[in-house]
Amino acid sequence: MSGAQEAALAAQKQDIRSRWLLSAPALLIIFVAAIGPLFVMLFYSFMVKGDYGDVKFGEFSLEGWTSVFFERDIFDDTLGLADAHLSIIWRSIQLSFFTTILTVILGFPTAYFIATRPPHTREIWVFLVTIPFWTNLLIRTFAMQQVIRNEGLLNTALLWLGVIKSPLQIIYTDTANLLGMTYVYLPLMVLPLYASIEKLDFRLVEAGYDLYATRFQVLRRIVIPLVKPGIIAGSILVFIPSLGAYVIPRVLGGGKNMMLGNLIEMQFGSGRNWPLGAAMSITLMILVTAALIIYVRNASRGGNGHV
Amino acid sequence: MTDTRTTAAHGGAIGLHGIKKWFGNFQAVDNVSLDIRSNEFFTLLGPSGCGKTTLLRMIAGFELPTEGQVLLDGVDISRLLPNQRPVNTVFQNYALFPHLTVAENIGFGLKMLGKSKSEIDSVVKDMLKLVHLDGRGNNPVTQLSGGQQQRVALARALAPRPKVLLLDEPLSALDLKLRKSMQMELKRLQLETGITFVFVTHDQEEALTMSDRIAVMSTGTVRQVGSPWDIYDRPAERFVADFIGETNFLEVDVLSVSGNKARVRLSSGSEIPATFPGDVTPSGKVTIVVRPEHARVTAPAAGSVLRGTVHDIVYLGTDTHLHIRLDDGSGFMVRQQNARSGDCGFSKGDSVGIDFSDDVAQILRD
Repeated sequence: MSGAQEAALAAQKQDIRSRWLLSAPALLIIFVAAIGPLFVMLFYSFMVKGDYGDVKFGEFSLEGWTSVFFERDIFDDTLGLADAHLSIIWRSIQLSFFTTILTVILGFPTAYFIATRPPHTREIWVFLVTIPFWTNLLIRTFAMQQVIRNEGLLNTALLWLGVIKSPLQIIYTDTANLLGMTYVYLPLMVLPLYASIEKLDFRLVEAGYDLYATRFQVLRRIVIPLVKPGIIAGSILVFIPSLGAYVIPRVLGGGKNMMLGNLIEMQFGSGRNWPLGAAMSITLMILVTAALIIYVRNASRGGNGHV
Repeated sequence: MTDTRTTAAHGGAIGLHGIKKWFGNFQAVDNVSLDIRSNEFFTLLGPSGCGKTTLLRMIAGFELPTEGQVLLDGVDISRLLPNQRPVNTVFQNYALFPHLTVAENIGFGLKMLGKSKSEIDSVVKDMLKLVHLDGRGNNPVTQLSGGQQQRVALARALAPRPKVLLLDEPLSALDLKLRKSMQMELKRLQLETGITFVFVTHDQEEALTMSDRIAVMSTGTVRQVGSPWDIYDRPAERFVADFIGETNFLEVDVLSVSGNKARVRLSSGSEIPATFPGDVTPSGKVTIVVRPEHARVTAPAAGSVLRGTVHDIVYLGTDTHLHIRLDDGSGFMVRQQNARSGDCGFSKGDSVGIDFSDDVAQILRD
């Protein structure tokens, strides 16, 4: 009897061991590639900055974290709010928010259009939407630059048509950032929206019309509530990379219209303040997580039709 | 319930005049003209692809007729949008709004019409009672059973008090027992509300049970319109006779005609009277139909209308089907009710005679 129990126990142990072995590659990737670097960042953010970049190991300091929001007066060493940092963080949040709104406004009709095509042509439209992904982000951003710069396509065309007398200053403004991000992230909105509109039962739309709803009421009362998961997924996919955008504001926004991504890059580059850079990166992560939580909570609260 | 009686006068009459509908190269409906009366339970019956659903969707406004007019109480509504027609639909798979509760579903139409919240609440309450779902108003529709969803769909379509209610095979997703009770339920609702019901189905039994009148359709055209009795006992053509119930076809010679009756001679040499549809005068060789339950199997006698041998006996509980091989080689089926326990009195290979009840033979328009 006890022999059998021992055997069963041994088999169980063997089972547990083989399970760990089987999941080891996945665990390794998660720890080395995802959680590990985060701990490195967290660790660096509490170090004293090195004189030529890097950090002084073993010398702990909260300076990195305080400098995210505060700056020391050069003369009397008192702490004041770091206006530059705060305005960049605020700008990043605003621009990401408006980018999300714009991509919803542009993406919804696009996705609706694709989802209502005959099945065999839908694939072609989806394919067309994904084509920009084949090109490097930097190249797409430069292409946008060519369109909106002062001697670019847009201004030349408008001048030639006589709509404007002098070129519009779009490049190196927040508008340029907004346009660039909307252009680059639009497919990330269209695809999840398409996926959920495609699943929409259009008999419900018919039922809506049958019950005296106007086109707008059908959209507001039936279509939008039912494709809400797609809107949420798309918004998350657009908002997160927008908040950390680096290439787009660098190329289109110029030096005056930095976003959080550029500010972080600066700390690791010319700023030689790695602890601050690390602290800012973690701040960005916290912002994204907070935005996600707020958004998902609001969305699920409105989800059962009691608007 | 006083309210429902006032609406009883408002069941709308539908007129379909020369309706044709093409989808590309395919003609779904070919020159259909029908008059559906006020307060009537009218059924469009036919096999799938016969155009009955297309016809219903044209009354609802989801499709526009290529040619012809749809009239509601004499007013042309052919070009109105679905949300401009006082007509509501119960969809085949209910099409309930999954993000709304039972009460919100039922109140949807009234809300879109801009009714006040108190009015919507009171109508929704009445409707819940009407379809036996009292107290279920706040349930999400996704948690209801098929039969309950069906009743919510009905209540939702009835709540705005349409002049005509369209039902697109609403019972096809239910199991047999539930379907039977919903048939009774629908009939009751139609009588209580006085709303004109236009019901689409491919189930002949369902059509016979519920309808005041039936239009039998095939390949985009209406083959016959009449009461269930007309359609079953007096089918005008082979398609109708064949589609509704089981039947026997016999080739006969017309001997003489008077009024709407003719004297015909069967292959056995017997002569019997037969009725024919009003719009034809039969002559020469024609086909008559005799329903299996309108014939009797007897011992062979000189006076028998037909003679043959018993080929097969199928026991069905309530009935027994006797398949007879006639002397001319063709088959004939007799349905005999099992009035008493035990065998039907015949066995395979018996020589038998067949008699018809009076006035059951019907000449088909060919």
